[in-house]
Amino acid sequence: MTWHPDDDDLILRHFGEADAGLEARIDAHLAGCDRCRGVWHEITDTLALAGTVEVPEPGEGFERVMWARVQAALPPPPSAGWSAGFLRFWMPAATLTAAVAVALALAIRPSGPDVPDAPGRAADARERVLLTALDGHFEQAEMLLVEVMNAPADDAGDLEFQRETAEDLVASGRLYRVTAEETGDVGLVRMLEDLEPVLVDLARSPKTLDAHDLESLRTRIGDEDLLFKVRAVNGEIRGRQQTMNAVSEGPL
Amino acid sequence: MNQMHLDDAAAVAKARGGDEEAFRVLVERHSRSIYRLAYRMTGRPEDAEDVVQETFVRAYRRLARFESRSNFATWLYRIGFNCAIDYMRGRPHRESVEPQDTLERLAPGSSGPTVDDLVFAGQVGSRVQQALGELSAQERAAFLMRHYQGCTIEEICHALELKTNAAKHSIFRAVKKMRVALRPLLDGAATPDEVLK
Repeated sequence: MTWHPDDDDLILRHFGEADAGLEARIDAHLAGCDRCRGVWHEITDTLALAGTVEVPEPGEGFERVMWARVQAALPPPPSAGWSAGFLRFWMPAATLTAAVAVALALAIRPSGPDVPDAPGRAADARERVLLTALDGHFEQAEMLLVEVMNAPADDAGDLEFQRETAEDLVASGRLYRVTAEETGDVGLVRMLEDLEPVLVDLARSPKTLDAHDLESLRTRIGDEDLLFKVRAVNGEIRGRQQTMNAVSEGPL
Repeated sequence: MNQMHLDDAAAVAKARGGDEEAFRVLVERHSRSIYRLAYRMTGRPEDAEDVVQETFVRAYRRLARFESRSNFATWLYRIGFNCAIDYMRGRPHRESVEPQDTLERLAPGSSGPTVDDLVFAGQVGSRVQQALGELSAQERAAFLMRHYQGCTIEEICHALELKTNAAKHSIFRAVKKMRVALRPLLDGAATPDEVLK
């Protein structure tokens, strides 16, 4: 029976990843097989076309602007002790807020079979409630993570407020996760699951956290890129809120 | 002091010791190449800039783990790919690139391609970017590393922490999807409207 290279063989050959034996065999075969040569040309033409897309070069001064952005985001040198003021301002009973939001979201159900689009509207309303609540939740989580990452190692003992905040966020996060599971929002469920273990560790940390424990917590936050993920999901939530607002304000 | 003469290894060594100016050298030297990578991954300039910033922030935090015998650019690429993947996973509902945006970027000065050429080039760019957007994050990363960056399968496995077969299959799937998406352009039968659908 005549051997024909499959598409995967041809792709490997194109990228120079086929071993010498396979490469020689493919080349010999292509010389005499119109059908395989047609597939070969389609693959190489596709990849050539994909290669024609240009990346727009960023403007002059890009490097300087990027350095300014990077520098602003680098961990600052140790300074005064825990600066929890901003976070304190933002922490009015997060768990209560979560409970209310979840109750609202779960309470919004289709109003009956006589309203044809009720399920869609109810789902939208639940999503809207959840997103509004989560916007605040992730914002608080971000601030908490920033504070942990930037806390001076020689003043790590006073963690009382951060511990309470983490505890609150664990409780509210679990409630939000229930609702996110109900609405089928897999991405949010995963983010809440990723965030919870670190919050739990912080919430259960001893009253006096030594520099080693603090560094261990930071390493974990860094290794799992939690801060970046929280920022990204926050951006996503705001984007979705804007989209929902635009749709609800649209002509239909 | 001007430290632009420092090579990567020397700059990393100084940056590890807390020399921010040395890290600045690395940022200014590599930010464009990371931008190109990030743009191909995300398809949008503003997203690409966010990814570049995050790549260097992560790199700074991990400088202590960088092995001095390694190539800094390769190490940075690996971080950049992972940042882009995280970014895309975190923003799963992004819209595709505006065709007009691509057209404007491709438009030259007074001489050069005709309007028809530009329209078609814009369509190609738009369609390719759209096709890339339809790949999974892993497929896109593996494909971009192989096709645009010229990385070997082995390097892709290392960067994306994949086994050889998984890396190969990501590339195979990516190429298959690209073939389906770009076939109308290759057939030459597509009208502009069909291309943009």
